[in-house]
Amino acid sequence: MGDLFAGTLGLLITLGISFLIAVILIVLLSKQPLTTIYYFFVGPYTNKYYFGNMLNAAIPLVFTGLGIAVAFKSSVFNLGGEGQVYCGALVATVIMLALPQSRGYVGGPAALAAALATGAVLAGMSGFFKMKWGTDELISSFLISTAVIFIVNYFITGPLDDPSNSMLATRAIGKQYHFLGIYPPSKLDISAAFAVAAGILVFFLMYYTHWGYEMRMCGLNREFSRYGGINVSTYVVLPMIISGALHGMAGGIAIMGTYHVAVKEFSFGMGWNGIAVALIAKNNPLGVLPAAVFFAYLDAGAKAAMLHSDVTFEIAAIVQSIIFYLITAQAIYSFLRRRKRSRP
Amino acid sequence: MNEQSFTFPLLHNAIGIMTPFLLAATGGLFTELAGMLNIALEGLMLIGAFFSVVFAGLTGSLALGILLGVASAVLAAALFAGVSLNLKANVFISGLATNLLASGLTIVLAFQLFGNKGVVRFEIAKLPSLTIPALARIPVLGDLLIGHNILVYFSWLIVVLAALAIYRTPFGLRIRGTGLGAATVTSLGLNPRRYQMAAILISGFTCGLAGAVLTLKLSAFVPNITSGRGWIALVAIYLGNKTPWGIVIASFIFGFAESLSNFAQGAINIPADFILAFPYLITVLAMIVYSIWRHYRARV
Repeated sequence: MGDLFAGTLGLLITLGISFLIAVILIVLLSKQPLTTIYYFFVGPYTNKYYFGNMLNAAIPLVFTGLGIAVAFKSSVFNLGGEGQVYCGALVATVIMLALPQSRGYVGGPAALAAALATGAVLAGMSGFFKMKWGTDELISSFLISTAVIFIVNYFITGPLDDPSNSMLATRAIGKQYHFLGIYPPSKLDISAAFAVAAGILVFFLMYYTHWGYEMRMCGLNREFSRYGGINVSTYVVLPMIISGALHGMAGGIAIMGTYHVAVKEFSFGMGWNGIAVALIAKNNPLGVLPAAVFFAYLDAGAKAAMLHSDVTFEIAAIVQSIIFYLITAQAIYSFLRRRKRSRP
Repeated sequence: MNEQSFTFPLLHNAIGIMTPFLLAATGGLFTELAGMLNIALEGLMLIGAFFSVVFAGLTGSLALGILLGVASAVLAAALFAGVSLNLKANVFISGLATNLLASGLTIVLAFQLFGNKGVVRFEIAKLPSLTIPALARIPVLGDLLIGHNILVYFSWLIVVLAALAIYRTPFGLRIRGTGLGAATVTSLGLNPRRYQMAAILISGFTCGLAGAVLTLKLSAFVPNITSGRGWIALVAIYLGNKTPWGIVIASFIFGFAESLSNFAQGAINIPADFILAFPYLITVLAMIVYSIWRHYRARV
């Protein structure tokens, strides 16, 4: 219990410091700091449109956050989230564009399955190289993802570009593929339910199945797991595949729910932010849900502040980096733990 | 610079392009040998790139720009080191945080100072190019080694100094000792954390220079101008088998790949995006081949 207390208190302190730094930044940068602060913190709650969009922005982060949590829990590193999301989105879009006549409930799942498979293959490759020859999966997943991003850019701006719109984007997917909106006028749609379901499912997988148990054991100590008779090489590849699949899903769902066209670089940040979300959640699949909403809140706040005041959106990145720094600072947590223990 | 005036423009260009990789990888070698995976090279380089060109623009002096730009990168490295070592954060995650901070901070400051988030141009002098007569006299090779800007030659000096420091001084021995086993260093009455701190600060210094090379050559800052070069530098360390000379060769390979893609862009009809993806694909292939080679060598 003491650890949980220290963990929660540490998290609150981390968030408190980050908010304080946000306020200081705004005071330094903005000519009308009070307005900016108001929109930064309260902006996302001022109307249904902002609020729904904030929740909607959290949906892909839930998937990428879950993807990272599964990998980190198994002590495997997937740094290729950006490319997996982006490529998953492109493949889903292509499938839906290729099936304009299909019913939504036939083509839609096909597109999602393809997105999922794309992410799984991209990340799975790095897992495979690691298992087979010990190639560092952290760096290889990053490099593969970066190369893939350029290739996806080529398809979106080249062969698949729709000349009838002014954006660098593909044609729009058919209306039958759009997810049902549930909170108009915002973009929030039924994929919110998928995100919650995914969180519960991954939690169940990690804590109540044989696979999950062995993955977590390998995450704690690979040598000990090998000694205990677990086929550890499997658990280099499997977490990567699951992680990639979840990232691919994030891309497919973002297209079907929110964007309806694959715009160049539309998914940038979803992969990196997934890492932050998983960290805030301490790699707990259920914790990923509120952590994703919190992260989306920071982004939504920065966007509202940019629209209504004079700061630029990237202050969110600075605040997020401070959270990154503090969340991993073990010294803060062990300090709190010691204090708790020293009391009777 | 008119590249056509050199006998082998492709190779000559590659030597110029490899400089940021070489510098960042040389600094990263210290952190790697001290036992830390330094993924903050990218962010530190970006900090150096932004502040060197901004300070050069403000002061009107290239030397001051480089000095203050490098100082900014060292400062960012100190933050990274403080969080990682004193607050005991996971180096990997605080490295990611450093990259995120660098990207956000440079864009916010560019917007605040210059009112735009795109390309910011500066009226500054060009980096002076050097033609060293002694080098020019070397047959064939000489032609490749002359006419680069002054920071290119400085980077070579830094590699030599780094090699000397790593293999010929007690400091280098202790850095390597820290990586092999921090407990051993402690048992000798030394503080391993101090050597890790020094290694991170050195990587901040060289990454700052690497960034300065990028922006001062262009006389402009572009958001996220480093575009993955810090990551490639990290791979160059692995590919170079964690030795200074290996890093020189690995950096040259990456410089050559980029140079080749620049030339191909004009000559052959390949989509630009494929050419941009090329260095990453080469790198990952090289990594895989290298690990296969090591895998089978370990078995024999």
